[in-house]
Amino acid sequence: MAKRTNVVFLTAVAVAFATYVWAQGSSAARLKFPGGEQTITIAQQGGQPLFPVDRVLASVGGRVEKVPEGFKAVVGGLDVAFAADSRYAVVRDKMIEMPQPPMIVEGRPFAPLQFFSGFLRLAAGLDAVWDQATGVLELKPVPVETLEVQPSVVDVQNLTKIVLQLSGPTEYTIVREAGTLVVRLVSPIRVPVPEQKYDSAYVSGMTFGPKEVRIELKTAQVAADSYKLENPFRIVLDLRQAAAPVPVLPQTTITPRRRNAPGIHTIVIDPGHGGKEVGAVGPGGLFEKDVTLAICRKLAARLESTLHTRVVLTRESDEVVPLDQRTALANQYQADLFLSVHLNSSVIKGAKGSETYFLSADASDELARHAADRENSGQGRQGNSELNLILWDLAQQSYLNESSRLAQVVQEEMNQATGVLSRGVKQAPFKVLVGATMPAALVEVGFISNPDEEKKLTDGAFQDTLVAALTKGIARYKSEYEVRIGVAPPAAPPAAADRQEQAPSPSLPASVLPTRAAADRPGV
Amino acid sequence: MRRTLFLILVVATSVSSACRKAEVTIAEQKMAAQKLSSREITFYFETPALLLGHESRAIPLPGDDSAALAVVVRELLKGPQNPALARPFPPDAVLRAAYLLPEGNAIVDLGGPTLINGWQTGSNQEMISIYSIVQTLTANFTTVKRVHLLVNGQVSETLAGHIDISHPLYPMAQLVAKP
Repeated sequence: MAKRTNVVFLTAVAVAFATYVWAQGSSAARLKFPGGEQTITIAQQGGQPLFPVDRVLASVGGRVEKVPEGFKAVVGGLDVAFAADSRYAVVRDKMIEMPQPPMIVEGRPFAPLQFFSGFLRLAAGLDAVWDQATGVLELKPVPVETLEVQPSVVDVQNLTKIVLQLSGPTEYTIVREAGTLVVRLVSPIRVPVPEQKYDSAYVSGMTFGPKEVRIELKTAQVAADSYKLENPFRIVLDLRQAAAPVPVLPQTTITPRRRNAPGIHTIVIDPGHGGKEVGAVGPGGLFEKDVTLAICRKLAARLESTLHTRVVLTRESDEVVPLDQRTALANQYQADLFLSVHLNSSVIKGAKGSETYFLSADASDELARHAADRENSGQGRQGNSELNLILWDLAQQSYLNESSRLAQVVQEEMNQATGVLSRGVKQAPFKVLVGATMPAALVEVGFISNPDEEKKLTDGAFQDTLVAALTKGIARYKSEYEVRIGVAPPAAPPAAADRQEQAPSPSLPASVLPTRAAADRPGV
Repeated sequence: MRRTLFLILVVATSVSSACRKAEVTIAEQKMAAQKLSSREITFYFETPALLLGHESRAIPLPGDDSAALAVVVRELLKGPQNPALARPFPPDAVLRAAYLLPEGNAIVDLGGPTLINGWQTGSNQEMISIYSIVQTLTANFTTVKRVHLLVNGQVSETLAGHIDISHPLYPMAQLVAKP
């Protein structure tokens, strides 16, 4: 009888334990990795499995450490930075997007599958595959595919466009050697011909190796942009005449991100909405997303030509770009200024005018509170410059004053030039401004719900006036800011855009190839 | 064997008595919540100057604030009686549920096809809609300090692509029209 009582007791304990495990949303799974397998505990959140970062990475010789801003993990000498409140992990100049942020359970980070497949592919050439039915997470080598490459070189206006079309995606780096640009590919390529001659403005030929394409330049005075396109996968290089003789840097690794010198060098312009997120719709059927894209394209071109700054659009076509990704891109590219362009809408008939917003202190406080919580729960302070990239929230606090100033000058110039009613400068918790680590503002250029303003907003001449005003506002902010931080003399003349046009270019050193952010994303 | 049966019987009896006790408590709470009394509520809608203007009306409300929140939000969603004010919400917006959590967080769960499928509007209409609810609840209930809006039971980034509603919002005094 005593035996039966024990059985009942043990069953009760087992049931209680199972209930506890269920309540915690955790369960056991098998982890298979090259050279072994083991049991791990996984967590569940929102129907998604979350895997223990420490255990999974340890199986391939990696480690995780807590740092003040979040966590840092290392596998094969490659770092990844991530935090409990961000859906983005940062590896060098790349961001890994996760469907939800990692979860911290008793101080240990648990991350979605995408974290592991994204990071381990780069760090160890491994793919992470989860089989829900069998409860097995497998880390297996990514099959190496030999890619076909089709090169083409064309001269377009003042630039030479080189397109390397590949039969599949691959990671790559571009390195400048004396008189040559070398595209180094992670995947091997089938060599089409050992060498190909070209007679274009800047390119004399290309040679192909098993994992590289060498582009022979006619002159060292060439500046280049590089970006990639998807479907089909293409690496594109735009070569143009460099402003000054190019210092030949042996074996300079070219990365899309660089630490800016003080001043405004990179501007991110954000055309509101896109794709199925059409934004507000005018009474005549006009979509906000179309007008914002048209204005922003014009604005980017004008800023580039008058301020000689690097300008990145968060979208260059009619596509959905998540709000946090827009700000994340600006942070990733270490932009010095962020301007989001929108059209307003109201149920009030006759609502009209333009207004400029910067982030409200409430929203900023909320971010600071999160940052403080993380700081307080940290295990001591450890410096890590890599993690600065994901310090969006903390840094935002210090940019509020500059954002306010930016909003002020942009609104003033817009009001003066367009004659549209000024509704002033305001603060609100706009999602797209949350976490920008640079002066950031959002302009509402007019009310699409107002038939008169809807008509104006489609007029090319009105758009040009608007673009000129926004450019003037940004130029004025740029020169005032550069005086404030001491990189421009205080006696600088008024910052009219046309004056800026004659100023010597403060653009990038030609040895650095900027990468255009919007084109760098899949599906562009 | 007999002892095992006895054990099961004891467990079953105690579980059923606990359930009965819980039923009584829930019933008592329901009765308290449903006890109605008329109360004057100040509702905030959009003014021609694109700010929040108010109108007051007396409505029967449960005594318990937590239960009263839903009644007030449903009344707010009906729109203003004063023709000078406008209703900013999508026509098909509905309230799914409202709760009051400790420390003054009101949870307002909104639904309706427009909000669920993606509301295509500008920031002014979105902002006024959000703060119409935030202002109305914080102005009428001293127990409500912040309002967290959900869409279809889920935490949402925004209602229409602009204002961050992923965490509870405080009222914005600058949006309220000066008398």
